[in-house]
Amino acid sequence: MRRKTPQRILLYAGVALTCAILVFPIYWLVVTALSEPSLLRQLPPSFWPSEPRWGVFGQIMAEKPILLWLGNSALAAIGAVSLSMVVSVLAGYSLSRFRVRGGQSLGLFILTAKMLPATLLVIPLFGIFRNLELIGSLWSIILAHATLIIPFTTWMLKGYFDTIPRELEQAAMVDGCSPLGAMVRVILPVSAPGLAATALYGFVLSWSDYAYARTFLTNAQGNWTANLGITTMKGEYISNWSDISAASILVALPILAIYLFLERYLVGGLTAGAEK
Amino acid sequence: MPRSAFLDLARPSRRHWLGYLLLAPAVLLIALIIVYPLFVSVDLSFQNVNIARLDQPRRLFASEDFWNACWVTFKLVTIVSFFCFLLGLGTALLVNNRFKGQALARLLVALPWAIPEVIAVVIFAWLFDSSFGLMNWLFIKLGLVDQTINWFSSPDAAFAVVCTVMVWKGYPFVSIMMLAGLQSIPEDFYNAAKVDGARAWQRLIHITIPSLMPVIGVTLVLVMLWVFRDFSIIYVLTGGGPLKATQSLSIMTYEQAFGFFKMGYASAIGVITLIVCVIASRLMIARAPDNI
Amino acid sequence: MAGIRIDSVTKSYGGLTVLKAFSLDIADGEFVVLVGPSGCGKSTMLKILAGLEEASSGTISIGERDVTDLAPGDRDIAMVFQNYALYPHLTVRKNMGFGLKMRGTDAGEIDRRVNDAAKILGIDHLLERRPRALSGGQRQRVALGRAIVREPQAFLMDEPLSNLDAKLRVHTRAEISALHKRLRVTTIYVTHDQTEAMTMADRIVIMKDGVIQQIASPDVMFREPANLFVAGFIGSPGMNFLKAKAETSGAGVAAKLFGHDVRLPVANATALAGKEIVVGLRPEHIAAGPGQVSFPVSPRLIESLGSEQYVYVDLPEEHRREASSGGDDESRRTSLIARLINPEPRPPGETLTLSFDPARLHVFDAASGEAIR
Repeated sequence: MRRKTPQRILLYAGVALTCAILVFPIYWLVVTALSEPSLLRQLPPSFWPSEPRWGVFGQIMAEKPILLWLGNSALAAIGAVSLSMVVSVLAGYSLSRFRVRGGQSLGLFILTAKMLPATLLVIPLFGIFRNLELIGSLWSIILAHATLIIPFTTWMLKGYFDTIPRELEQAAMVDGCSPLGAMVRVILPVSAPGLAATALYGFVLSWSDYAYARTFLTNAQGNWTANLGITTMKGEYISNWSDISAASILVALPILAIYLFLERYLVGGLTAGAEK
Repeated sequence: MPRSAFLDLARPSRRHWLGYLLLAPAVLLIALIIVYPLFVSVDLSFQNVNIARLDQPRRLFASEDFWNACWVTFKLVTIVSFFCFLLGLGTALLVNNRFKGQALARLLVALPWAIPEVIAVVIFAWLFDSSFGLMNWLFIKLGLVDQTINWFSSPDAAFAVVCTVMVWKGYPFVSIMMLAGLQSIPEDFYNAAKVDGARAWQRLIHITIPSLMPVIGVTLVLVMLWVFRDFSIIYVLTGGGPLKATQSLSIMTYEQAFGFFKMGYASAIGVITLIVCVIASRLMIARAPDNI
Repeated sequence: MAGIRIDSVTKSYGGLTVLKAFSLDIADGEFVVLVGPSGCGKSTMLKILAGLEEASSGTISIGERDVTDLAPGDRDIAMVFQNYALYPHLTVRKNMGFGLKMRGTDAGEIDRRVNDAAKILGIDHLLERRPRALSGGQRQRVALGRAIVREPQAFLMDEPLSNLDAKLRVHTRAEISALHKRLRVTTIYVTHDQTEAMTMADRIVIMKDGVIQQIASPDVMFREPANLFVAGFIGSPGMNFLKAKAETSGAGVAAKLFGHDVRLPVANATALAGKEIVVGLRPEHIAAGPGQVSFPVSPRLIESLGSEQYVYVDLPEEHRREASSGGDDESRRTSLIARLINPEPRPPGETLTLSFDPARLHVFDAASGEAIR
């Protein structure tokens, strides 16, 4: 049904205004990064720098070990996601396909584990990692991030496997595969998009963490993650918002890229099973 | 290719073993990095070197700081959840209309979800900067205030900024969930209502909202739990200050543990947050068994 | 190729028994159809036969080999699934060759067999496509092809036609029959559609609630149903049932039907006297116009298909059976259907005379439902 013109104009205006207000903070981050620090102290503020200093990103990378931080974040995320994916692909498949005694309770526990406060878990983990001499090492946050990621990915993958007809692996088994072979040769290739989306979701969870990195890595400068590095910049350069903003953009970029490319999948995974 | 009969998991009588085998790594890892630590912290919370067991909880309940943190957490959860819903549901309804550029609008509306919390804090810390922040300039221009506010040294103002950041970071989740919910309402419901002569707002109240109720319920619990547990935003933005105005239970737990190294006392608070979380998630699961 | 022997196979989930002592001998090259309403255990039996589910007890052998606890891949069977279960990430060629590849057949042999099977099924031009680029009918053929290339001891088919539209279904039905005549591979075919069972089977196994009701060829199944359930299930529309009481009449036994004393075609007449019975009469055995037993009716509804007419008549109260809990169609309980071939056009509302031959009647024990002959 075609709406009347005034209504449509109102709709477009409403959408435009809403988007503008909600996305403005991100825009402002970009403007701040591209402005000369001295310009930022002028009032009224300018909403687009007359001479955007695109070189700020290269400059901040030279001044600060941003690349090292990004590398550490990536290492931690890749480690945590790999570990989590291996166990949760197997567990998700089992929960989806087998009636295992205690499987339902485990599913419920995993569901509850998603709700655990990090500030609770971080205390005993600190003690345990101290005894294992892992404090300051990236392994500490790889393991800690796995506690965040596994509950999500297991449940997401179970949901994804549920959508794949059982007849596929039954056909593969009749064709001569072992149950594990049917999973590896048929179910996993068919699930590739779901696996990718799930892994990326885990990546986002790990990349966004601050609490664990702050607790386990503060005294190991060489292993700082991007988020941790940014907060130390905020503490020390209380006035140089331009540099902090530039660094922040570099940190947010990978996640934004993942979001833009995989919006559909991420949103699907986020809301999977949300409606009855 | 003869397989050993006993280990042949393809045999019908052996196949269910595979179910256990596949779960084993997850169970082991979860036991090691989630269950065991949980036991340790419950144990810690009842432990103290010089004073008798069961003392931590008693000390906790007598502490003024604890009740302050409870009050702050409660205010935070209520206010942030309310505005997240207002904004999330509003944007979802708006973007759910059919118009050119809908895909782009959907993308933009949910964009803050993809910004790491620490970065969100950086953005808002600068927006609310006391000397050159955009917000101060804007508020003065609009005549709302006559001199710059020092946002992070006034308890009420700091609390408001924390709320703002959390709402901005949290509403996209509501929006995404509501959009998914809206899209699952059959078009026929609306057509039938239109045939019956229902106006737009009547359709909203009698079809949209009731159909969304299950999703709303689950989303509400998830958002409340997120606010309840969140650490990064408050910690990086205000550190719980000024004057503990933004010290939620999470922040207090962390401060006690890693600021004052009172692990037992901190664990006691942590265990209480855990109990609240478990009850809330159980409520949600009971309501919607096959949910997230 | 080989015969299959199923001996007292049962299946229960916890306390729920879905399959009770299923025994069946299938000859080499035979086409056996398992038919029954949903939940009768037919699919479960097929899955047990394939090794996809474990039998709670009993044994299965294919050829002379005990396969009861053998992996599905070690049984040398091929299966066609209701939803086809084609591997979406593989081309048609790879889909069809997958089973052979798993068995270590060399590439040249796989290619040859896939090409042969594709030619038989007329899908040789689709070999490089993926399943998603195929129509429903084409997918169905690929699923059949995947089974054929394996040259297995037996084909297991689980409702392979139910996802096709009506026209294609009839066509494919004939094709599967032709394929079976050509390859002569033992086939076990599961369906809920009695027409498929009647048209394709050498022998039909009809099941209800996990129990075999009757095993017979289609003709025997139609002419001599073992009980009320079989009589009602086979045939379209199903048999009409009339409640009556058997009375001795001379040397034989008779029942009062539509006001007439009608002699019942049973051998052991004396044992029947005085019993509550159900008399069965097939819709196609009712004719228009007077005959041996005639009765006037005013039809409630006449459906015309051109070549035939379905005349719906309300049953007199005395012939209606008690409403059973078994989910019998209520309208079938209270009405009689006559199927008239090459009928004259009839205006609605007109009364007409119907008749039947008493020799065509079926007699069932009202209490047990078993046929009495």
